Amino acid sequence: GAWGLFLNTRRASTLADSRLSGLKPEKVTQMMEWTSKRSVIRMNGDKFRRFVKAPPRNYSVVIMFTALQPQRQCGVCKQADEEFQVLANSWRYSSAFTNKVFFATVDFDEGSDVFQMLSMNSAPTFLHFPAKGKPRKTDTYELQVRGFAAEQLARWVADRTDVQIRIIRPPNYAGPLLLGFLLAVIGGLAYLRRHNLEFLFNKNVWAFSALCFVLIMTSGQMWNHIRGPPYAHKNPSTGQVSYIHGSSQAQFVAETHIVLLFNAAVTMGMVLLCEAATSDLDIGKRKIMCVAGIGLVMLFFSWLLSVFRAKYHGYPYR
Amino acid sequence: FTPLRGGLSGGLSQPAGWQSLLSFTILFLAWLAGFSARLFAVIRFESIIHEFDPWFNYRATHHLTTNGFYEFLNWFDERAWYPLGRIVGGTVYPGLMVTAGLIHYVLNLLHVTVHIRDVCVFLAPVFSGLTSISTFLLTKELWNQGAGLMAACFIAIVPGYISRSVAGSFDNEGIAIFALQFTYYLWVKSVKTGSVFWSIGCCLSYFYMVSAWGGYVFIINLIPLHVFVLLLMQRFSKRVYIAYSTFYIIGLVLSMQIPFVGFQPIRTSEHMAAAGVFVLLQVYAFLQYLKDRLTKQEFQTLFFLGVSLAAGAVFLSVIYLTYTGRSSYAKIHIPIIASVSEHQPTTWVSFFFDLHILVCTFPAGLWFCIKNINDERVFVALYAISAVYFAGVMVRLMLTLTPVVCMLSAVAFSSVFEHYLGDDMKRQSPPLEDSSDEDDRKNAVTMLMLMLLMMFAVHCTWVTSNAYSSPSVVLASYNNDGSRNILDDFREAYYWLRQNTDEHARVMSWWDYGYQIAGMANRTTLVDNNTWNNSHIALVGKAMSSNETAAYDIMRSLDVDYVLIIFGGVIGYSGDDINKFLWMVRISPSVASQPQESDYFTPQGEFRVDKAGSPTLLNCLMYKMSYYRFGEMQLDFRTPPGFDRTRNAEIGNKDIKLKHLEEAFTSEHWLVRIYKVKKPENRDRVEHKLRGADTTKQKYTSKKVSGGAEASSEGVFIQERTQLDGT
Repeated sequence: GAWGLFLNTRRASTLADSRLSGLKPEKVTQMMEWTSKRSVIRMNGDKFRRFVKAPPRNYSVVIMFTALQPQRQCGVCKQADEEFQVLANSWRYSSAFTNKVFFATVDFDEGSDVFQMLSMNSAPTFLHFPAKGKPRKTDTYELQVRGFAAEQLARWVADRTDVQIRIIRPPNYAGPLLLGFLLAVIGGLAYLRRHNLEFLFNKNVWAFSALCFVLIMTSGQMWNHIRGPPYAHKNPSTGQVSYIHGSSQAQFVAETHIVLLFNAAVTMGMVLLCEAATSDLDIGKRKIMCVAGIGLVMLFFSWLLSVFRAKYHGYPYR
Repeated sequence: FTPLRGGLSGGLSQPAGWQSLLSFTILFLAWLAGFSARLFAVIRFESIIHEFDPWFNYRATHHLTTNGFYEFLNWFDERAWYPLGRIVGGTVYPGLMVTAGLIHYVLNLLHVTVHIRDVCVFLAPVFSGLTSISTFLLTKELWNQGAGLMAACFIAIVPGYISRSVAGSFDNEGIAIFALQFTYYLWVKSVKTGSVFWSIGCCLSYFYMVSAWGGYVFIINLIPLHVFVLLLMQRFSKRVYIAYSTFYIIGLVLSMQIPFVGFQPIRTSEHMAAAGVFVLLQVYAFLQYLKDRLTKQEFQTLFFLGVSLAAGAVFLSVIYLTYTGRSSYAKIHIPIIASVSEHQPTTWVSFFFDLHILVCTFPAGLWFCIKNINDERVFVALYAISAVYFAGVMVRLMLTLTPVVCMLSAVAFSSVFEHYLGDDMKRQSPPLEDSSDEDDRKNAVTMLMLMLLMMFAVHCTWVTSNAYSSPSVVLASYNNDGSRNILDDFREAYYWLRQNTDEHARVMSWWDYGYQIAGMANRTTLVDNNTWNNSHIALVGKAMSSNETAAYDIMRSLDVDYVLIIFGGVIGYSGDDINKFLWMVRISPSVASQPQESDYFTPQGEFRVDKAGSPTLLNCLMYKMSYYRFGEMQLDFRTPPGFDRTRNAEIGNKDIKLKHLEEAFTSEHWLVRIYKVKKPENRDRVEHKLRGADTTKQKYTSKKVSGGAEASSEGVFIQERTQLDGT
């Protein structure tokens, strides 16, 4: 008897649920359909008004307002987006998945009207739109205080919607795969040349890779990696492409590649100059090496200096 | 370097004598050049401590010299972080203060009476000379004497190092780079000789480094890495074993003697690599020992098993620890860390700005080192690679990259000079025409190199003079005719505080100015540059960004007597508090979530101080204090009154009335403004008009009392009331 009752109540409650969602069943099913395709629904102004802003709705929506277009130069947005995807995927593929909460994103370049409507001026911003009532102050996620780690976001979502999400980070296969591939290549090479492991002791290979690393670092690739600047800037009115950033505080990716090349050329010039004096080649070749060394050092260093001067106006001798 | 011809007598008739005289002279000149290059600030201004952190170091040193070493170790500073205070002895690296104090003591013992301030100001330039000598020694061990001398000259004038060691910049880095280079020299020496003597010397130098700077972590990771790579390269030897075992044990024990470091070396992840390599080295050495006692077959299996197990375990744990440690640090970006500009990644321009020609030539030096590898060149290669990585991640770590760049560039330049300078002909009897041709080329290369070095010297001088020699406590502005105005507002205001306020008055300001207030005005501060308590800073940020009434409550609860702010609108100084204001707002919600950052922006998302600015901004305490009475001031005839030169805008709120604060002091150029926080009034003023009939009753029922702290004023209040009733 007791079991039957229990089952009955359960059925009753599910019935009530479906009746409630019967208010706007097509909205929920639409949302569910989108979610089944991508765990984070991309919205524009139109969809936002219909599915989030319009009142009859029995689901909560957590929206990330962001600016992911490369010309916006929002490095934080990319990182926040990754974390948000982790959160949404953890929810989408968890066993507790229901249609109570949906995750969506609005990009500034697709729905700038939404940004205006909510008078928002910074990205990324996380907002929660509760099923009932208006969003309150606590429905805005305090990004500056809590950071954008998926775990923190999940805690906030749990706080706002009573939906507990266990964050499951997809193991990053790219790194291990690449490492495995590299190891396989090295292992294969080692196996093929197992009678002659000299190449491991080849100083040229080691010196070359060390140099590559050093050049990559000194040309500011780490800055690019963290800040995510655009490759170059195209002036929309004149169509002119500038590869060098005008300020000394920032840089374009193209610029760092140019600088990497220049640095490498100067280094090569110095090495050539030394080789020219020490190698056992005949005198003609040494002569060419020496002249090439002088040319490389002179040309590329002055070139580098002029690029630097373009960024530091009035350098030096004021 | 070519030995000069001729000679007077005795030692000078031999090339070795000339060589040592020449090296001595060059090192002396390098010291002199490095010392004088760092004096721009002293010559232009005066012998004064710079910026922010040096003021604390100076204050601590002063405390040390007046009260002695043990008092300093036990010092509890009640002038900072009111009402919490700060235990100074256990939270500083004392090396800097002890060094300066010791020099002061010795000088006074010799009856050279110098003020401790002058010792502090000139400490970093003097140590730069020691740095160039230790760089010379290290490079000499790695390559040859010529390269060593060149490296010494480079490091004496390179901007990357000058930036942290100009006269007056009394900071840990000034002496730590010397300790770093000297430790590395002794390490290389001990690996080369395998003697316990050099190893112990290395430990002592390491101990000095630990006492001076948190960057010692770089050493305790680089040296194990060196040993590890030597093992991988099958360059294990008794020398390495002796050197590292001695270094690890004694270095560990010594480093734990510094109170601030304490038990960290056996607890935290960044020290675990050293321990792991130590274990690995013991295992490896033990297996080497077993090798003599086992058959070849047995040994091979055992060897592979042991080494791979140990190496795997160590490697995995290190990877795990660093990986978890780093990623969490990178992801949760705390505003207070992000607000400090030297924690940013480095652009290529900063590399070039700080290192100039050296940044493009040092890879060549690295190339030569790896091509002619030996034990100690493995070390310098690892040094270069790790330092360049860290410098790329964070601007301030450019400092650790600079020495190795100088050394490797010196290697590159000196190899070129070796072959092209001088008249020794290795290849005998070349054809006549070729010879003159070759001479031409040699001359061309020499000229080119000298030209580059000259440009480098000019660049260094320019950068030092223009970018790194401002005390930032005293400002200078230049008129069109080249004459100079000194803006001494900071010291004016701090001196005013010192002279005109109560000795125990508490001054609230943004944390940037905490050390300066404590050092120059000798008053109690709420927050300072040692940003150990974020919530306390957040409270101050909240007070600054709320409206006056709300701010008054916070200030009352913190017992604030004076508020000090920096305002640059009159002279166009861009580093003022309004420009830092958004950070105050950002940091403040970590305590309470009331002020939202977006409230301070216009609907268009701009941060404006004029009429279009957001009302929240125009009425917050910081705005009111900055622009109080500014609306009456017309700076010149082209602009309206109340025109802010820093933000190029006419301010939006000209009629500012302050209720709970009163202006106490404004410096000559309005750069520093100090406000006094009024005591609560005896009774609240009634806002509405008094009604005719029962005024007396109405008047006193609306009194808001906020707790027991008001007891005394309450008493007065009651007295007054009875008196009034009587009349």
